[in-house]
Amino acid sequence: MLLDIEKCQVCAICYSSCPAKSITITYYDMNSLTRYLEKAKDEYGSDALVVTCKGTNPDASEVEQLFGISEFIPLSVPCVGRIPAEVLLEAVSRIGIKAVYILACDEDYCRFERGSTTARLRAAALGALLEQLGHGAGVIKFKQRSLKVRADRNKCISCGNCVFYCPYDAAKLEHGAATFDLELCRGCGLCVSLCPALALDLEHWEGDKISTMISDFSREKGRPNILVMRCQWAVFPEFDEELDSNVHVIDMPCAGRVEPLHIVQAFQQGIDGVLIVACQEDDCKSKKGSKEARRSTAALKKTLGQIGLGERLHFCTVAPRYPGSFREELRQFKERIGSACSQEVTQ
Amino acid sequence: MIVTAQKPLDEILESISPYHSVLIAGCDGCTQPPRGLREAKTLAQLLELGGKLRGKDFNFEVITLPKQCDSYLTAGPVQSQIKDMEAVLSLACGLGVQTIAQILPDVPVLPAQNTLFIGADIREDSIFEERCAACGDCMLALTGGICPIARCPKSLLNGPCGGSQHGKCEVDPEKDCAWDLIIKRLEKLGRLSVLEEIRPPKNFAVVVRPGRVST
Repeated sequence: MLLDIEKCQVCAICYSSCPAKSITITYYDMNSLTRYLEKAKDEYGSDALVVTCKGTNPDASEVEQLFGISEFIPLSVPCVGRIPAEVLLEAVSRIGIKAVYILACDEDYCRFERGSTTARLRAAALGALLEQLGHGAGVIKFKQRSLKVRADRNKCISCGNCVFYCPYDAAKLEHGAATFDLELCRGCGLCVSLCPALALDLEHWEGDKISTMISDFSREKGRPNILVMRCQWAVFPEFDEELDSNVHVIDMPCAGRVEPLHIVQAFQQGIDGVLIVACQEDDCKSKKGSKEARRSTAALKKTLGQIGLGERLHFCTVAPRYPGSFREELRQFKERIGSACSQEVTQ
Repeated sequence: MIVTAQKPLDEILESISPYHSVLIAGCDGCTQPPRGLREAKTLAQLLELGGKLRGKDFNFEVITLPKQCDSYLTAGPVQSQIKDMEAVLSLACGLGVQTIAQILPDVPVLPAQNTLFIGADIREDSIFEERCAACGDCMLALTGGICPIARCPKSLLNGPCGGSQHGKCEVDPEKDCAWDLIIKRLEKLGRLSVLEEIRPPKNFAVVVRPGRVST
């Protein structure tokens, strides 16, 4: 059997399902997952494991709301369909995890099409197996959710941008304001970034929240101070991803959620360089997100060029199937920004 | 819709340079692309940044107005917001700028946009295209709903000219020949015979400039 690496989205569903274990993977392989769990069990002092897909991104209070627990070991991965059953089996039988809570995306929302369904079926089978092995019923708890757009009808100016740009036909103009069919919304955030009236927001990636993160980063002293806004499907960070202290990363639901307002805010508050990292257009999990991000970044770059800051903003595309591509883009960008900053100091 | 393009930041910075406190006024009306709250806030930050790089400190406040050219709707919000602000920077078309200037006779009102034309948003191609010249004597009924005044650079009434090549215009081969579009459209509608009548020169003085009509 051959795998076409150029088409691979690195969802790892094949890896986690292969009975012959004949597929190897760079990110979140069985060994690194197990090592993480062993370490995290001591670190977090908990025997509850919460596995979440990045697409669901719950914070601690949401986990408490969803599962009723406040202390837990977090494990956030790009698609829960990638976690092999063996890892969870070992977590319970050997590492001493007493309860596993799995939060997947809604099935029609899964960025890897079959990941959420695979995870659901696997959780049910594993739960039954653990019960037979004497670990009791209900060790594995499985839930699904997805993050959607929120519209403020009072702020809407009926321009229709969201209706045009929504890749999923979820937006309509009705009775003088935009309304959204949340069954269709896939939470890419493109409409939010393009709404001229700031009438839309995206759960978890609210504009104010991103703005506060940028303000916090801008207060850091390291130079050059670099902000990376990257699509969470374009880069799968390794466990304990270590970046220099002057590099601040915001993982976005899609590059289409990156908005010029936030980029300009970053520069205005003293960030030296902003790197936008998107998927390649063919890989975009939100159809138009990468394309629109490229377009809007190019337009902003031109405007920033009018005040001599065009080179401080860079757009690039990477893919998880090329490990190291993000780090290489970041290295080159840091070098460019570093030399631009030192030139300024010299001047 | 009225299509505008933002002025270069240098030019805007130059025009607001005599002032410290500036009210930036967006417009949610027909200006395209919409110059609402998002654009107003983004511009405020860009100008603060540009000012800082030039050693100039600004204090901006930002509002947006439903229709900046409507003096009745605009007067209240602008008057209550102006307080100690020394100038207004408008993101509306030239009409919005003049409306605020009329409301605030003692305050300088500056344009942040160049007003380009009455145009359509061709979303699929990410462009705006001029479609109406506001000539005052609409002939769209005779031209299949395609305006030769606005869309033919020569505003020909009996086109196409000899420069029409493969459906494209000789003045700008990127653009469609308006008369080629008109003929194809009338053909489709079975109304090509309309063109057999020669159109006499158009009266461009239907609207005596500056135009004025009673409501």
